[in-house]
Amino acid sequence: MHSEWVSKINAAVSGANAEHVAAGEFGDDTVFVAPEKILDVCKFLYSAEGLEFNVLQVITGCDYQDRIEVSYILASFINNLELILKVKLPKASKDATPEIESVCSVWKAANFQERECYDMVGVIFKNHPDLRRLLCPQDWEGWPLRKDYQVQKEYAGMEVYPAHKINTADIYFGEKLKSSAADPKKFSYSWKKPEFYPEGAQPTTETTTEGE
Amino acid sequence: MADTNLETKWIGDGADLEKIKSDLLTLNMGPQHPATHGVLRVEIQTDSEIVATARPHLGYLHRCMEKHSENLEFRQVIPYVDRMDYLAAMNMEHGYCLTVEKMLDVEIPRRAEYIRVMVAELQRVASHLMFFGVYAIDLGAFSPFLYAFQDREQILRIFEELSGARLLYNYIWIGGVWNDMTDDHLRRIGALVDDIEEKMKKYHALVGENHIFVGRTSNVGIMDKDYCYQYGGTGAVLRGAGVDWDLRKKRPYSIYEEFDFDVPVGEGTKGTLGDAWDRYWVRVREINESIKIIRQCLEGIEEGPIMGKVKKILKLPEGEVYMRTECPRGELGYHLISDGGKTPYRLKVKSSCFTHTSMLPEVAEGQMIADFVATIGSIDIVLGEVDR
Repeated sequence: MHSEWVSKINAAVSGANAEHVAAGEFGDDTVFVAPEKILDVCKFLYSAEGLEFNVLQVITGCDYQDRIEVSYILASFINNLELILKVKLPKASKDATPEIESVCSVWKAANFQERECYDMVGVIFKNHPDLRRLLCPQDWEGWPLRKDYQVQKEYAGMEVYPAHKINTADIYFGEKLKSSAADPKKFSYSWKKPEFYPEGAQPTTETTTEGE
Repeated sequence: MADTNLETKWIGDGADLEKIKSDLLTLNMGPQHPATHGVLRVEIQTDSEIVATARPHLGYLHRCMEKHSENLEFRQVIPYVDRMDYLAAMNMEHGYCLTVEKMLDVEIPRRAEYIRVMVAELQRVASHLMFFGVYAIDLGAFSPFLYAFQDREQILRIFEELSGARLLYNYIWIGGVWNDMTDDHLRRIGALVDDIEEKMKKYHALVGENHIFVGRTSNVGIMDKDYCYQYGGTGAVLRGAGVDWDLRKKRPYSIYEEFDFDVPVGEGTKGTLGDAWDRYWVRVREINESIKIIRQCLEGIEEGPIMGKVKKILKLPEGEVYMRTECPRGELGYHLISDGGKTPYRLKVKSSCFTHTSMLPEVAEGQMIADFVATIGSIDIVLGEVDR
């Protein structure tokens, strides 16, 4: 089914370079297209006979080291179809914000979805009517759903992630249980050791249980 | 959609509009406003009583659930998805577990499937009862809220005995359910659905057919079919617009294909197709359809285990999956990307409430403020799911 759609897209939109990525044993198939042709591809999928993806479900981004993959999940309520359409946006540097054409002109639902995607992973949607942050405050810094995101130290005069709110006791309780388990490899606990400790939250020898 | 005949509708024919028009006044509705169902802030510009523009501001309940889940093992995400739509936590869990199970080679025992469907449908009844009560409050009737809460209480009591919690259950687990239902539970569920079905008839006659209620909701907040498609509206909003679309029928998941039930759609009984009254009427009839499913579950439930064989340390194969389920408020989708590890690489939640909130600005234009309140109430949003 997907490979058929891919050939339709390639025939209708020149330069779309649509590519079918089959799922493994489980999961869903995806279709990758060239980012510069996304608007044309979406317009085609919206109106193409036999497809008619009339509902945009999600626009979301996923951060990888060198690129951001933006997924457009489309659904057809007329033909009962579902498609995960993806584009790869290369990141020039760590903090770069890649750009892509907005699809607001095809589905109005894209307005909020693109704003959320911009807010969370820092993808700029060109020609968007109102590209502002949606869930975070307007003056928030950084892109929270990127993998290398570090929260800002202070916001509006308030300390973000203050030391006294970090539950070090839980973390070290988990480590204590792990070290005392018969087979530490099989033991898991929910509290992750933070990669960095804000000042004041440094573990003290009393809370650590190493060598006990 | 703006009512094009607004002026004639509210001001009357022949009035000199330029004289009547006043300066626009900016008002903040919310975030602490009883009619916004939580912490939604809508910045509205009003021309006297008429809304000129409305801009929703989200994020007051943003708890970074998607970011948190990247650091949690697959099982540990379940309590977090509970907290999205806290009025329909069972449906949230059901959707999430189905998403993970789609990536796993695991067979769910029949008894667990029946229990899942039963709790999901009970939760739908509870959620719609909540809508019924709260919507009546929005429109100025207080007592239906108390009636609805009494009945919802019966359901919550069953859930409390099953899971130990009244709102946030962590009951449906990957591979099955946590706790088994006893025969006593089944008997009581049978009794309570009979009770609720009987009472809903009375309640609907009391509220839905009430002259004032009809006056406040008919021809208000009209969202037609094309409008819903453009914005991706689903659930009772789409069905209220007369579209026969229910994922339980169209893309059956779990064991829904075995049940016999109808999909209620709006017919424009009291006004225009797709108005607030139609959405209310769809939800009230959905309670009866859910009760039908629960009755069939009670008849068909089989003895057996309640947990399938799932590895203790759960690792999903590399790949991605998108799974949609029908929740009380609309379609809930989980887009899960796995890199083969113990935690999701990325978990995106497609929330119907989020989508429906984005439908508000266009429908608000040209409404009276009181009608706007009726519109917000009729799409039945929960801000926990909007902001996640």
